[in-house]
Amino acid sequence: MTHVVLDSCIRCKYTDCVDVCPVDAFREGPNFLAIDPDECIDCAVCIPECPVNAIVPEEDVPGDQLGYIELNAELAKKWPTITKRKPAPADADDWKDKKNKLAHLLR
Amino acid sequence: MKPTPNPAVTDTARSHDGPIETDAVIIGAGPVGLFQVFELGLLEIKVHVVDSLAYPGGQCIELYPDKPIYDIPAVPVCTGRELTDNLLRQIEPFGASFHFGQEVSVLRGEADGRFYLETSKGTRFLTKTVFIAGGVGSFQPRTLKVDGIEKFDGTQLFYRVRNPAQFAGKNLVIVGGGDSALDWTLNFVQEGPNKAESVILLHRRDGFRAAPASVARMRELCDALEMQFMVGQVSDFEERDGRLVAIKVTGGDGVTRVVPLDMLLVFFGLSPKLGPIAQWGLAIERKQLVVDTEKFETSIPGIFAVGDINTYPGKKKLILSGFHEAALAAFAASPYVFPEKRVMLQYTTTSPKLHKVLGVESPVFD
Repeated sequence: MTHVVLDSCIRCKYTDCVDVCPVDAFREGPNFLAIDPDECIDCAVCIPECPVNAIVPEEDVPGDQLGYIELNAELAKKWPTITKRKPAPADADDWKDKKNKLAHLLR
Repeated sequence: MKPTPNPAVTDTARSHDGPIETDAVIIGAGPVGLFQVFELGLLEIKVHVVDSLAYPGGQCIELYPDKPIYDIPAVPVCTGRELTDNLLRQIEPFGASFHFGQEVSVLRGEADGRFYLETSKGTRFLTKTVFIAGGVGSFQPRTLKVDGIEKFDGTQLFYRVRNPAQFAGKNLVIVGGGDSALDWTLNFVQEGPNKAESVILLHRRDGFRAAPASVARMRELCDALEMQFMVGQVSDFEERDGRLVAIKVTGGDGVTRVVPLDMLLVFFGLSPKLGPIAQWGLAIERKQLVVDTEKFETSIPGIFAVGDINTYPGKKKLILSGFHEAALAAFAASPYVFPEKRVMLQYTTTSPKLHKVLGVESPVFD
């Protein structure tokens, strides 16, 4: 089991979650965060921190986003660890309610 | 409700000036750590409890004190605080000693089979058994995210108040909107030995998580020009000759203002960090301690792990699972503490021996 960052995070990347992670499992890309499944201990502390509800336990990933389980694992391998919150992108609020943002993901 | 430390035990330890010798040390005073006291107590195993927080309750108190919990058997609903208070009441007969506000930094085996533990405050233990009920780790203050400001940590930037007198007569900026921020603001504004020269409270919005009465009092003091309240966030700072002389505060209006100060106090709440547990040589899987499901013992005999910190096939992070783990771990620990004694399972309802341990009258059944 692990927790998974979903589509809502793309281009929003608020980073509130990284502050509370007890094991520093978050990895940072240009406009998305990923959780390293080998680090995550399923403590669920990050879930309520996310302003756009982008984090769910693996078993609750909705059917149309199952690809994000593998995507988190893949991106976590090459992205650096992020342990401190930083300002969100200037246009984060414009993107927070948008759906199906995978095409915007920068790797 | 506060647990009362057993003065006899603390005094003895102090007078010997050596490590505290005990049967068991429990690391973590969350619900599972507290129930571990109960299960060990029934077996007459004496315990000391260490927690990084200044109070018992762990995640229940730090993350959801007022939120309802619905899955405690026979308790249809209770809050994190109620659960903690009830557990403290339940373990009262056993006189456990609590050591709050310190983390266990060292844990190692001794030649005689016991374990040596040392905390961040220098408290030392020699114990026959260890119970790690560390949950998701120790709660640490969330820090201010301003590049470079960390060099003033402990001299002009503080995340907790250990010695209020240090701030008396100073120009203070207090950041945050919770109870800690408001309580210390009121403390430093009011007449008394710790009264500051000036106090500015800074919060990112004009709304507070703190108790309404404290907020009302703070607003009265602002109206009386005893202190100031500002809406905004710390965006930068100014230093002169190696000293922090001012912070830059960006307000909700987008304007950045320079606010001079002597001391900066930040209360952003706490978040857990797993800490040094990974360095104790215990088998670990994804940062959780691997245990068996018979004894909940780690890879080192005599060290047990219970609650959210452990892992085994089928593990579910539920408080009730932690309670079960604590019961079996206590029985498994008994041979380390009383090698000669054969321990039988007895019931608190019927056992006169357990009634004595619990300090209750044995009921008379008609």
